[in-house]
Amino acid sequence: MNLYVLLKMVPDTVEELNVAADGKSLDAEFLRFKLSDPDEYALEQALLLKEQHGGSVTVVALDAPEVDDVLFTALAKGADRAVKIPIAQAGLGTVAAARVLADFLGSAPFAPDTLVLPGSQAIDDLEGELAPFLAAALKLPYVGVVCGVTPANGRVTVIKEFAGGLRAEFDVTLPAVLGIQSAEKPPRYVPVAKVRAVMKSAQIETVDLPPPARPGQLEIERTYKPEAAGRAEMLEGSPDEVADKLVDVLAKISVI
Amino acid sequence: MNPVNVSIVGLPGALVLWLLAVVAFGVFAYRIRQLVGLLRQGRYEDRFDRPGKRLAHALKNVLLQPRIFNERAIGLPHFLIFWGFVLYATCFNWGLARGLFPFLPIPFPDEVRPVLLFLELFSVIVLIALVVALARRLFYPPPYLHLSMDANLILLFIGLLMLSTLFGSGFRIVAGQATASGWAPIGSRLAAAFASVPKETAASLATAMWWLHMTVVLAFLVYLPYSKHLHLLASPFNVFFSQSVTRPAGDLGVRGAKEDFTAGAARWQELTWKQLLGGFSCAECGRCDRSCPATTAGSPLQPQQMIHKIKEHMVHTGLAPKNGDHELKLIGDVLTEAEIWACTMCMSCMNRCAVWNEHVPLLVALRRHLVSQGLVQRTVQDMLGNLQRYGNSFGKSDRMRARWTQTAGLKIKDARKEAVEYLWFVGDYASYDPRCESITRTTAKVFAQAGLDFGLLYEAERNAGNDVRRVGEEGLFEMLRDKNQQALGKAQFKKIVTTDPHSYHTLKNEYPWNGNRPEVQHYTEVLHGLSQADKLPLKRKLAGRVTYHDPCYLGRYNGVYDAPREVLRALGLEVVEMPRNRERSFCCGAGGGRIWMEDTEKIQERPAENRIREAVALPGVPTFVVACPKDLAMFRDAVKTTGNEGKLVVKDLAELVAEAME
Repeated sequence: MNLYVLLKMVPDTVEELNVAADGKSLDAEFLRFKLSDPDEYALEQALLLKEQHGGSVTVVALDAPEVDDVLFTALAKGADRAVKIPIAQAGLGTVAAARVLADFLGSAPFAPDTLVLPGSQAIDDLEGELAPFLAAALKLPYVGVVCGVTPANGRVTVIKEFAGGLRAEFDVTLPAVLGIQSAEKPPRYVPVAKVRAVMKSAQIETVDLPPPARPGQLEIERTYKPEAAGRAEMLEGSPDEVADKLVDVLAKISVI
Repeated sequence: MNPVNVSIVGLPGALVLWLLAVVAFGVFAYRIRQLVGLLRQGRYEDRFDRPGKRLAHALKNVLLQPRIFNERAIGLPHFLIFWGFVLYATCFNWGLARGLFPFLPIPFPDEVRPVLLFLELFSVIVLIALVVALARRLFYPPPYLHLSMDANLILLFIGLLMLSTLFGSGFRIVAGQATASGWAPIGSRLAAAFASVPKETAASLATAMWWLHMTVVLAFLVYLPYSKHLHLLASPFNVFFSQSVTRPAGDLGVRGAKEDFTAGAARWQELTWKQLLGGFSCAECGRCDRSCPATTAGSPLQPQQMIHKIKEHMVHTGLAPKNGDHELKLIGDVLTEAEIWACTMCMSCMNRCAVWNEHVPLLVALRRHLVSQGLVQRTVQDMLGNLQRYGNSFGKSDRMRARWTQTAGLKIKDARKEAVEYLWFVGDYASYDPRCESITRTTAKVFAQAGLDFGLLYEAERNAGNDVRRVGEEGLFEMLRDKNQQALGKAQFKKIVTTDPHSYHTLKNEYPWNGNRPEVQHYTEVLHGLSQADKLPLKRKLAGRVTYHDPCYLGRYNGVYDAPREVLRALGLEVVEMPRNRERSFCCGAGGGRIWMEDTEKIQERPAENRIREAVALPGVPTFVVACPKDLAMFRDAVKTTGNEGKLVVKDLAELVAEAME
């Protein structure tokens, strides 16, 4: 199979996130980027498909801090090609990013067994818009929130997750775009030594593309931290006293 | 009379002796060649450095066998059997040489009176030792002792040798070939008891005893390299080439490696020749199993079985492969992943091993292979990912590392900005674990009140890499080490003090320091130094009885046993020892990356719970003192899970020092 995995860098929420002085963007001082979690699963799903059914995996990313490490790690895990498009991901917006990626992917006709696997969503794309915009630009079928992919007879059977624990099975023709929520296995571990060896031996291909004419992003008016709505009341005392107080509270709000 | 001058089934005795000797030595040499051929298939490792020091180590440990005596019931019997063996082997070769080359102008050994006296005395001693050894095997075997027929057969062999010597001496006296005297105390008594035997019969019996003796020894020679008694040939070499002569305990490097050892071993041929030699050296005594926290907990790992299984696997696939043997995988078929991950790398097996086998580096080699294949538990993988990205296993920002200082009420120097005497390498648990933070603040206050000039690396500190290395992620260890060395290179300090014994060991013994290693001390050593210099501002004497748990990486790995105990005594406390103390200390179960792993197998009793029960059994000891942040977390949990809250309190040594300063 001809597998493309699209990798996106997102702010690492382990680090403190602050609003910058302009009141609209994130303060870059402590900002660090990491690979978006669903993208990590998309890569794992692609590697599993390659192992089970043969083919090649190409990972594609726009330019962002620390993205080279992520691309090399993907190669160390078993991806065959790594492509970096030297257009900064920051400030691009999901729609414009989809357009750039579509330019790259659509530059040559697809092999008939092509699957494009972006992550289903990202912390700065909770609506999961990238995959459908991409599919629309490429005029390919699309399924999102995918948690299982099984190829057979030139098509794939896809499991999609719905809210409330519902699952549905889709039969999808190829080529297609699948927004991956999770892979059949957790992402694999690749030892540091292997990544280092790959850094010495492998290359990241750079593919120059014209930047999109319009960023196509909604204008941000204000970015702010959630404001505390109320205060929690701590019930103190012995277990019996706490139980009594709890009963009073529940009675007061007519729960009991 | 020369016992060789007889006719045996129509052949001259000398010819028979020659035939027997050529066959026996031939088979022996053939087998040894086979076994050495196997070792040569292993990877190269340079164990030839400092030969003089190695020789001294080997002489001490082979001739005096101090480690055999760490189990008393069998220590002396083994020691005596060993020396009996040396004496008998010498006399056997002597007698054989005299028998094969009749022209040699020397007597038979038992014709030399002092030698005869020794032979007789040792026969008796060895026989008594054999009775003890046999009784131990038959009636009161210690748990996990590998009870093989092999062992009983060998005891029978040795018994025959001793009896043939004594009766040979007795019958020679009866036959008039020797005289009764104090030089043959047992022979003379036997001769008196058998005085009624006709002289000619006695002469034949004496000759028969000589032939019995020689035949049994030659049979033993053939049998030996096929049995567990191979250890008496292999172990002297094993001891000579032991890593601990020239390297820190449990060293995980491979000196002079010709292959990339960081990818580990998936096949026996990928272990080093020295690791393979360990299999031949193992006497299956079970000291390792009996002291192993994983084995005691009922996990699938038994260090002795592991060594044994690798040896069997190597011998079977290397020498006489049957159909399907070649498909047997070292990891998967011979050893399970669960076995390999069960080890806490506490060093007790290696510390107890009488033949100085090296189980811990071997297990790490196997783990390295698993890691290279990405075969690690989910929880371990998360930790490794965290350490790669944030430099700590807690997955918190490196900027939060020194957050505990904000509430310490102290201004702690930044060693990257100003010179300090001590650089305090705090470590992950002491920095990030909410259970340890307050103790870290206490330690800081103790240091400050004692006037110690110290500083931190703040967010530049990374996990030292001890657990990472023992999990088998050598590349990540190197990355953490390099980052720490870079940060330390920019800081100004004279010595390093650590909270965590694991970091202590790694900084002290596993960082290259470009040949410029600073002195590394554990905080208990620093406190001991302050106490001795009378610089600890103690305001009151504490009273009461406490027990102290030796952390593996402080005690067994680095031999620091007295400093913490002396600090406790200086505080006015009485230190009551648990039965397993000092180098016998029982691991809490957290080392070697175990703290990140789930118990995949059902285990009977966690090591920390086992230890807490040991401490609770001490009369009138309400305090369990630890000197390791991981111990604190493990044992506080274990006190709760064993239902001993209220009976035993786990305290860090620094907390007690702080109490005495109030």
